[in-house]
Amino acid sequence: MHHIEVTINGVLRRAEVPPETTLLSALRDSWGLTGSKLGCDVGDCGACTVLVDGLSVNACLLLAVQADGREVVTIEGLSGFEYLHPLQAAFERLSSYQCGFCAPGMIISAKALLDENPAPTELEIREALAGNLCRCTGYTKVVDAITEVCRDHANAVGVEESA
Amino acid sequence: MKRPGRGIACMWYPIGFTVAANPSSAVVKVNEDGTATLLTGTVEVGQGSLTVLGQIAAQELGISADDVHVVSADTDTTPMDTGAIASRTTFVTGNAVRLAAAEAKSILFEVASEMLGVETEELEAADHKIRSKTFPDKQVALAEVAVRAQIVRGRPPLGSASFNPPTVAMDPETGQGKPFATYVYATQIAEVEVDDETGEVEVLRICAAHDSGTTINPALAEGQIEGGIAMGIGMALEEEILFDAEGGQVNPNLTNYLIPTSLDMPKIEVDIVQSYDPVGPFGAKGVGEPTLVPTMPAILNAIYDAVGVRIADLPATAEKILMAIKEKERAEVKQLGSA
Ligand code: FES
Ligand code: FES
Repeated sequence: MHHIEVTINGVLRRAEVPPETTLLSALRDSWGLTGSKLGCDVGDCGACTVLVDGLSVNACLLLAVQADGREVVTIEGLSGFEYLHPLQAAFERLSSYQCGFCAPGMIISAKALLDENPAPTELEIREALAGNLCRCTGYTKVVDAITEVCRDHANAVGVEESA
Repeated sequence: MKRPGRGIACMWYPIGFTVAANPSSAVVKVNEDGTATLLTGTVEVGQGSLTVLGQIAAQELGISADDVHVVSADTDTTPMDTGAIASRTTFVTGNAVRLAAAEAKSILFEVASEMLGVETEELEAADHKIRSKTFPDKQVALAEVAVRAQIVRGRPPLGSASFNPPTVAMDPETGQGKPFATYVYATQIAEVEVDDETGEVEVLRICAAHDSGTTINPALAEGQIEGGIAMGIGMALEEEILFDAEGGQVNPNLTNYLIPTSLDMPKIEVDIVQSYDPVGPFGAKGVGEPTLVPTMPAILNAIYDAVGVRIADLPATAEKILMAIKEKERAEVKQLGSA
């Protein structure tokens, strides 16, 4: 057993885990954070995507012990009872998802992209989502929603600059 | 060299099968605060049917869709439903919901008729009110009518209904009949580029025009069409379940069974063609499965337009296309030789 301490969505959490435990199963089974989904467990689908020290990572491919001492952001860290992350709000507004199984991972991938590059091209958006498979939507309204968030952000920055 | 091609395909698709019984049922209860509760056995898997069914109940009752609480998919409490299958939910379950809401509404109308001194045929439900069609100022809040129906008249505003699509039996002599309640139609156009040295296909654009009756929720219908096209592209170009001699799947994983990613998906333009189906709820038909039917033939026709080969065995992988191109070139050389 290994003792690990991981800061998850700003809260320090501890667990005792066998060495083969993935970060995904620690999140879901040790800490009850079931927002990150288990799709394939081998890095193909992206449903388990989380941020580790700001980088998007497949939580099924990272061992929990490798996350020891790091900062992890999961889908649960993006919104509260009172508010949604702008990406989530845009996805809701445009009905971007259907079953929603891919959504937690895709939203995290989109956040990782926008943290890095607030004004991506459509191709850059599609590249950022290429590791997140969706069986339902064809990605069209997902890309549209991210584009809308970037535009709103650019407008807000423009207003600030001209003020 | 990359060669451009365009292909077109049209389809029709039947909605509301009648070869076997195909019923759906619903219960609608109008609550004392003017909201409603809908019980349906159908299953939501992301296609948006509960939203659409809530909209149908709301439209019939003249309240907003947010005010309809939908309880679904639990036959301990809800009626049985034939299933979220065959693109039937909007059409069949939607009709059951509309009829159940209409029954609850007729009780409200009886009570409102007394309250307003207006004949029931003269009443309509809109904006959370029941009002006279000709003198809309004669009105009363739907919630008030619901309370009165419950505690003064002792007639709780409930409705329950079933819908089983109407059938015309097949005539054994002529073979004519009506095996389905209605049909939807669609045309899709695919624009592709085929590399004639590798056989690789890139789908650049798909335009999709779909008639689904009167669309109840255009954003959800578009989502269904876009998603269907994604499945159609996968089916046309890459998706294939491979079996070994014992019937086991050789590729039971997403490394070897490929589905389109965000980078594989082209620009999709959806055109929702409005029509009105006289039997469908508020003119609606259905949208689920038909969305991917024209995608494959449109892409295969576009491949033919680009490089002149017909692929009849899906998926049309780069390997198959390249082999067909080589085959065609050999045949052309032979023909030249024999001429
Ligand atoms: S579950 Fe991690 S990539 Fe599929
Ligand atoms: S919405 Fe169902 S997998 Fe993406």
